[in-house]
Amino acid sequence: MPFALLASTFATVFLAELGDKTQLAIVSISGTSNRPGAVFAGSATALVLASLVGAAAGGSLSSVIPTDGLQLAAAAGFLIIGSRLILRSGAGSGEDADTPAP
Amino acid sequence: MTSAPDAPDQPTPPPVATDSPAPSSWITVFFSTATTVFLAELGDKTQLAALLLSAQSGRPFIVFVGASLALICSSLVGVLLGRWLSTVMPAHQLERAAGVLMVALGLWLGRQAVLHLAPLHLLTS
Repeated sequence: MPFALLASTFATVFLAELGDKTQLAIVSISGTSNRPGAVFAGSATALVLASLVGAAAGGSLSSVIPTDGLQLAAAAGFLIIGSRLILRSGAGSGEDADTPAP
Repeated sequence: MTSAPDAPDQPTPPPVATDSPAPSSWITVFFSTATTVFLAELGDKTQLAALLLSAQSGRPFIVFVGASLALICSSLVGVLLGRWLSTVMPAHQLERAAGVLMVALGLWLGRQAVLHLAPLHLLTS
């Protein structure tokens, strides 16, 4: 029954992803960017690509891809984005011109 | 009225707003988000769950579709949550909080990766 497998995959992955570091990163990027459409498109594309890699590799992902090295690269990216955000908040703390529409 | 230059090389000043940060272009935001999320997601526990399901079921395509739908929904939730936070918090305050969160995530991710890499060196030494 493909639908049961589809539903169980959906539920498992969705629950595993709630509150995950990836989602926290998406919340951070979306909240501080003025282009939520681009953030959504980029994150959705990346997640679909990642799950494509995961499903295609089966159980042998860590033997194909150096996941620890990739995680280190991601950590560096997080540090760079985070420090840039902190610097920007310190530099432009006086201007919040675009008041959000209710 | 002799000087009516309709030449295309009339120097129009480019719209440079020096006081406000230039908004990043769509494609820049797209690629920076995609790179960050893709790198962070590989080797994640979601990946492991999808791998397990895929290996157990023997139907990788169904697992791929289900995982993709779930990930798209969760990223939509994340984007909407970020937009909502930006409406209830001042911009600079949200930027500082997001920056601190990202730095903390980066340190934690880096620690995880180093801890995974370290036992090999500890065993050999």
